Amino acid sequence: MIAIDFTLNGRPCRIELPVHWTALDLLRDGLALNGTKYGCGEGVCGTCTVLLDGEPVRSCLVLASRLRGRAVVTVEGLGHDGEPDRLQAAFARTGAVQCGFCTPGMLLSARALLAANPMPTEHDVREALAGNLCRCTGYTKIIEAVLAASAG
Amino acid sequence: MRLRPFALAEPESVAEAVEILARLDGDARVIAGGTALVPTMRLGLVTPDRLVSLHRIPGLVQIREDKGALEIGAMTSLAALARHDAVRSGWPLLAQAAGRVATPAIRSTATLGGNLCYAEAASDPAPALLCFDTQVRVADSVGERVVPIGEFFTGFYETAVAQGEILTGVSVPAVPSGARSGYVKFCPRSAEDKPLIGVAALLALDAAKRIGEIRIALGGAAPTPMRARRAEATVKGQELTDSVIRGAADAAAAEAEPLSDLMGSASYRREMIRVWVRRLLLSLRSG
Repeated sequence: MIAIDFTLNGRPCRIELPVHWTALDLLRDGLALNGTKYGCGEGVCGTCTVLLDGEPVRSCLVLASRLRGRAVVTVEGLGHDGEPDRLQAAFARTGAVQCGFCTPGMLLSARALLAANPMPTEHDVREALAGNLCRCTGYTKIIEAVLAASAG
Repeated sequence: MRLRPFALAEPESVAEAVEILARLDGDARVIAGGTALVPTMRLGLVTPDRLVSLHRIPGLVQIREDKGALEIGAMTSLAALARHDAVRSGWPLLAQAAGRVATPAIRSTATLGGNLCYAEAASDPAPALLCFDTQVRVADSVGERVVPIGEFFTGFYETAVAQGEILTGVSVPAVPSGARSGYVKFCPRSAEDKPLIGVAALLALDAAKRIGEIRIALGGAAPTPMRARRAEATVKGQELTDSVIRGAADAAAAEAEPLSDLMGSASYRREMIRVWVRRLLLSLRSG
């Protein structure tokens, strides 16, 4: 077991966990934050995407010990007081959610894009979401939603 | 699905890391970003008893210019490399190739050192580094040695890094002034995939507008990333006419030693090398 301290959705967090756990194991099984999904387990599908110090990462590939001292944002950290943030609201309004399995990863990849580039082109959005697979193939609405939530 | 349990060492210096590697028994692996190793472990293809993570070694995450060369620490992420101002302005080919690896959430985690040690034949950064005659630094308990990138890839997923050694960084020499360069990758399945083949090229014209300097390197064209030396020789000293470019593309296709796999047959890879070397040189000709 190891103990790690990190910042989770803006709050300090300390937890003990087995050394062979990934960040995804920690979030889902250690902290019961089940918004982050287990998809392929190989870093391909993107549904386990979280932000680590603001950058999108695959939580299924990152060993939990790598979170030490860093800031993690999961889908549970979006929005305030139960209200969706601008991006989540755009997803809901645009119909960008079908089965919902890819949505947490889509939201966090899009959040990272908009933080770095508040006025992305459609091409920028496609590039940013390239590693997030929507099993329902509902990409058109997802891209529309991200563009709608952008400052442009 | 959990990973099979392993012990984890997190040394805080290269000396400590090589010391740990030297005394470990069982199957120990060095882990950098983990984007290649973790899926390989999940699939059960490797089952290390111990991982030695390099992430707490401060000197390994750095990009700096030193006497005109670019020094890159092994743990530098591909995303950091792709967006770094000095890399983008001085070594745009490297920034471009690093920025084409997989997807944003992989590039944020994957490291240059890990990419090289994994030795994927279709690596995106490797052909760029081959074009620059990069020096690879490798440390063990005795000290550090330098391996020219041309001798680094020794076989299919094999490198010159021996058991107990750690790749600590690379040194990328300055680019000839006025050089043009580019990297293209052909992805028949999806844009974020590793390429079927990739081509990097760097060229500089001399005073007579002939090709003074030309470097062409290929990914996915052999069991290892490779320089296309015969293609370079057909172009050097020539004007970049259509027929010279076709000659270079034919030479690159001929000197490639592609493998067949689920992505494509050897003969298809050879044809695509011909096509993409030609396209890249055409685009570099037009500036």
